[in-house]
Amino acid sequence: MTLLRWKREIQESAPQTQVFEELAVPCLASLYNVAFWLSRNGADAEDLVQETFVKALRGFASFQPGSNFKAWIFRILRNTYLTSRSGLAARRTVALEEELGETHESGPVLYPEGAIDRETPELNLIRLNDRAALQAAMESLPAPLLEVILLCDVEEMKYREAATVLEIPIGTVMSRMARARTALRHLLSSPTRTPSLTSNREFRA
Amino acid sequence: MSDHLSPVTLNALADGELAGDSLAQANEHLGGCSSCTTSALHQSLLKSATARAGQRYTVPADFQERLMHLAAAESSRAERVERRSPVRSSGSRWGMLGWVTAAVLLFFFGSAWIVQRNLHKVEVASVEHAALVREVFDQHVATLAASLAPQVVSTDRHTVKPWCQGKIPFSFNLPENLPRDTTLDGANLTYLRNQAVAQLLYSIGKHRVSVFVSERPSPGPGDSLADHSGFHVMDFSAGGLEMVAVSDVDPARLAELADAIRRAQAENQQQRK
Repeated sequence: MTLLRWKREIQESAPQTQVFEELAVPCLASLYNVAFWLSRNGADAEDLVQETFVKALRGFASFQPGSNFKAWIFRILRNTYLTSRSGLAARRTVALEEELGETHESGPVLYPEGAIDRETPELNLIRLNDRAALQAAMESLPAPLLEVILLCDVEEMKYREAATVLEIPIGTVMSRMARARTALRHLLSSPTRTPSLTSNREFRA
Repeated sequence: MSDHLSPVTLNALADGELAGDSLAQANEHLGGCSSCTTSALHQSLLKSATARAGQRYTVPADFQERLMHLAAAESSRAERVERRSPVRSSGSRWGMLGWVTAAVLLFFFGSAWIVQRNLHKVEVASVEHAALVREVFDQHVATLAASLAPQVVSTDRHTVKPWCQGKIPFSFNLPENLPRDTTLDGANLTYLRNQAVAQLLYSIGKHRVSVFVSERPSPGPGDSLADHSGFHVMDFSAGGLEMVAVSDVDPARLAELADAIRRAQAENQQQRK
């Protein structure tokens, strides 16, 4: 017997919700962690994840089965953050790439030798084991740099996945990663110094 | 240009993003450059340290449960919207209202048309009957005024009936037993409504009676009695024939003659069977 269209769609929607939950629940801890890092606030993080879940569930029909669900839902999370109160506040600042004069078209930009702390002071190695110090240094990072650290180091995404989430070229991911780690090293070696980049918290897609 | 590996290459190496020739070249350089080897080691240490430090916030105990409730509510809402949209969308509501309105209007105007048509039929029948009454009255009065003998003069029904054969396209029967003081005087061939009919002439006492016998064009409304200028016109049917009796005699006695003629037609039909 042929079902009416709306009955057929309702029957299909139940398993869809179930599939969504099976895919989304394992990402919940990561989503919440990244949301908290970005929003710097537990309540905002919950709102952010909650809105991400609702948006993802409503748009789940557009998700291509077999593609990268984690990258897909993280992209929704980031876009939701960009339009959130804390995200909008972060976007009011100057562009980081513009300030540094980066050009993505020509590929990753090499840093001067001084940008790499080749001496690797013993203090740095000690502080790497100081979880609180490292977290404080990460908090000091501008959001575009923090994002790549969170996605590539914490969430163990490949550059290509991070580029998909952030909607930027892979070369930009690589240059941001290089700057982020350089900034972290400097922050760890000179913990009392206020990083010059912390005021620049603009997101660019 | 520096001989050392670039920060981007060192990071890509730490992140496992180098492959093929790039990886081979980097490894070859690291084999002869302690500075870059130290930097690469430091990048790896930094990566693993940030990975640990980044795992900082844990999901509140009831947050997942709240999210699942939210997802369930969202699914229910979507189902309600899907279920409602084909039936209760505003477009469908207006469409349904339009059909109902059209049906009501069709019923109303259909009923009005049927009632109007029936009223028209009744009116037409009434007019036709009035015309018939006038016509038989005129014929009857004309017969009385002419003081002429009937075309066939006979008190014998067996003479009158055969006389009519061949003159009118139907046959009828005449009663053998007539009511008291009633006699058959004869018959004429005449026309009513442009059709050939038999005019039977009877006398009830001194009152003359004309009975017009014709084929019934369609089932009539039944027996009826009308008065016209002091005469009584009785319309009745029998044996598929329409008969109209007109006289100034008492209607009761006219009815007795009509009953006698009606019975004769019934007898005629039984004989045919």
